[in-house]
Amino acid sequence: MPYNIAMISDNFFPQPGGVESHMYQLSSKLIDRGHKVIIITHAYTGRTGVRYLTNGLKVYHVPFFVIYRETTFPTVFSFFPIFRNIVIREQIEIVHGHASLSSLCHEAILHARTMGLRTVFTDHSLFGFADAASILTNKLLKFTLSDVDHVICVSHTCKENTVLRASLDPLMVSVIPNAVVAENFQPLSHTSSYTQHRRDAPGPPPRLGPHDTITIVVISRLFYNKGTDLLIAAIPRILASNPNVRFIIAGTGPKAIDLEQMIERNVLQDRVLLLGPVRHEEVRDVMVRGHIYLHPSLTEAFGTVIVEAASCGLYVVCTRVGGIPEVLPRHMTEFAKPEEDDIVTATNRAIAALRVGKVRTELFHNQVKQMYSWTDVAQRTERVYDGISGVLSHDEFYQGAGAGGGWSATRGRAGVQSFALIERLKRYYGCGIWAGKLFCLCVIVDYLLFVILEIFAPRSRIDIARNWPKKVFKDSKDKEVDGSKDTGIGRKRSARHRREQREDSS
Amino acid sequence: MSAIVSALTTSHLPASSTIPDPDRLAPEDAYYNARKRGSRDKDRSRSANGNGRRSKANYKKLLWFKQPFPDNYTDEATFLDHLQRNPRLQPYEFWSLMADSTVIVQHIASVAIFCCAFVGIYSKGVAPVSVVSWASFFTVLGWALWDYWVGQEEAEAAKTAALEEASAAIGYYPSGYHGPYVDSTSSLSPRNQQRLATAKSALLIYASLLGLSPILKSLTKSTTEDSIWAMSTWLLCINVAFFDYGGGTGAHLPASISTNSALMASTVLASRLPSTTHVFSLTLFSIEVFGLFPIFRRQLRTISWRGHLTLTIILVILACGGVFVTLTGGGRGAWIAGVILGGSATFVAMGGCCWWLIGLQKYKNEIHGPWDPARPVIRRRWD
Repeated sequence: MPYNIAMISDNFFPQPGGVESHMYQLSSKLIDRGHKVIIITHAYTGRTGVRYLTNGLKVYHVPFFVIYRETTFPTVFSFFPIFRNIVIREQIEIVHGHASLSSLCHEAILHARTMGLRTVFTDHSLFGFADAASILTNKLLKFTLSDVDHVICVSHTCKENTVLRASLDPLMVSVIPNAVVAENFQPLSHTSSYTQHRRDAPGPPPRLGPHDTITIVVISRLFYNKGTDLLIAAIPRILASNPNVRFIIAGTGPKAIDLEQMIERNVLQDRVLLLGPVRHEEVRDVMVRGHIYLHPSLTEAFGTVIVEAASCGLYVVCTRVGGIPEVLPRHMTEFAKPEEDDIVTATNRAIAALRVGKVRTELFHNQVKQMYSWTDVAQRTERVYDGISGVLSHDEFYQGAGAGGGWSATRGRAGVQSFALIERLKRYYGCGIWAGKLFCLCVIVDYLLFVILEIFAPRSRIDIARNWPKKVFKDSKDKEVDGSKDTGIGRKRSARHRREQREDSS
Repeated sequence: MSAIVSALTTSHLPASSTIPDPDRLAPEDAYYNARKRGSRDKDRSRSANGNGRRSKANYKKLLWFKQPFPDNYTDEATFLDHLQRNPRLQPYEFWSLMADSTVIVQHIASVAIFCCAFVGIYSKGVAPVSVVSWASFFTVLGWALWDYWVGQEEAEAAKTAALEEASAAIGYYPSGYHGPYVDSTSSLSPRNQQRLATAKSALLIYASLLGLSPILKSLTKSTTEDSIWAMSTWLLCINVAFFDYGGGTGAHLPASISTNSALMASTVLASRLPSTTHVFSLTLFSIEVFGLFPIFRRQLRTISWRGHLTLTIILVILACGGVFVTLTGGGRGAWIAGVILGGSATFVAMGGCCWWLIGLQKYKNEIHGPWDPARPVIRRRWD
């Protein structure tokens, strides 16, 4: 069932980061599965207009005023005209926003609902409830997510957090983890023939003797919330109790100066190697130089980097915070409380386990490969798309919530059926005593703007973009999207197609 | 945790009999709906599908293996099981709140006394020199007392440090610990050196105020009186709002905002006075009231609760009486009436505010869970 999907976020390449690579990988896998995906982001310096990436992924860099750390200035309505233009040009059916701090994404979800499109939101981060900034962000999130069809979170902790922050029905929140490209994170000794022949029993593991050097790798931005203070406190104690241990630390940030001071004060220059910032494609080369990966972060929604480390065959020592305990099985990790003493003990335990040879790190790569893949993520995301556009029946998707008609939380809240303005206003009105009224006002203005745009910039005057030509597959399902044949078909037609398909399959 | 869960469910059981309102958006509703729907789902899958395997299979909050559940499955047993609501809630008690509110009453009373003193000097012909002499007398007295307390405290700290050094052989303070302004080469003892420094700075402030007074006198000559009153009112309000009512010693940023605004208010007010002596007196008085008096009050509160209460009563009596005399222009009768009326009004206001705060506490809804950034625990070492 091919859909036309627009991924929207402030964060995209050329800026590096987790959300960016998530969007890119997911989009390219969805394209492989026959969908049409475009990405809308703001203009970066030296990156404006429309670009094509590998696999025919089209990126719109919308000119917008950037205020802070590549986040655009939140003007509730100014994005609407150009957004509408892009959506009509590309015949978008599903708008998928990413990252809760991206104002572009929130605006797009609002406008998409006004235009009668299906919307999905992916949350990548955790927020508290205590400080003023969080309260404001949570209110805005509630605004956007009052009228969204489905939400995707990267871990169960993230789901709980999002459900509480935006007061959502838990059934309209799916947990779909991040993934890694396992081929990019192979251990040093890894050869494909080796695994093919002896997948189950790859011989005795290379034992580390008591006098062999064990290298501990840390790759993180050196910020407070990444636990750099813990790292700074723990390193001298770990090195003092283990003579044959070295550290390699990559990454930079405001805490780098503290780290350097610690090294100088304890005269550890020959045992701690600071690499400075490394690019994402060099991460693997750094990781394979070590045996243990230490991750002292204080908050983490998913922690892709520990999956990457495990994929490189490193034993992982990490703090038990956020979504981290859900990510890797026990035999790959050593958990610690976010306390200096506990991190030292956990690292010592990990060193001892490696020396004894209890940990089969050489098996990690294949195990991780089976756990996480972007193809799987794309498949599961596709199920969400199926659910919200009605290809999967309501009962099947929401597991009987509100089965047998009548009122149902999901139907009432997520609005699988209703785009009617009055229904939407009801949903926004519940956001708060003052906020509810303000949000309703915003939605009404947005609707008026939509009507004005329909009159003064009618759809008939907007050209339809040609799709990226694709190879013709034998499979009839894939044929539907290739070439420009499909471009003239509106949403009605494709809905009928879908219904036929469902009848065929059932 | 289970206690919290049960408390949550029982508190919302009455709502379950009626149809839940779809527009209710409190966090507990999300939680409650999850539980209810989850159980309904379980029943349905058991009865309709007839295979109990799905509900028997254990759902785990893990991501690294594929579970036989859809992605939006919400397990009623584990969903939000680490949620903590109001974990460190301390229910307020009426009398302890009353005791704490005396700090605010003290400060407001001292501001009122300052205002009365200004009105007295400005329009009633109270001699400014007598006001500032009395204030200076009490300031010196207070400083002597404060110095005595600090000396006692330091002796105690030194004793405990010595004990710790003896027991653990590692002192938190190096043995030759001195205050920040102490010259170790001098022949005087560190305490006397500090006293000398205080006396020096007091003399400096005195002299510079004397020098500045003629300039201050003509500072706002071109401004109308109305704007001066409005401005000083606002500045004093800022002073009250940003004052550091906390118990700790040492200045914080809001506290310095508060002191600065009060001194600016007094400068502006002093510039309306007729002679240089007036200006000098009022400015010195304001420094004593807003700069030095809070330090003394804070120290007194940590030293003795009874002294603190006595000071509060004295201040309230002075302030109420002063305000009534200033307002009515009466004599002793107005003073006594003011003390009785104002004192009881203050007490009632204190009680009302405390009761209100206790009533507001039931709306407190603090949510904690695994998504909160962890607080790192690091052992401090002094090496």
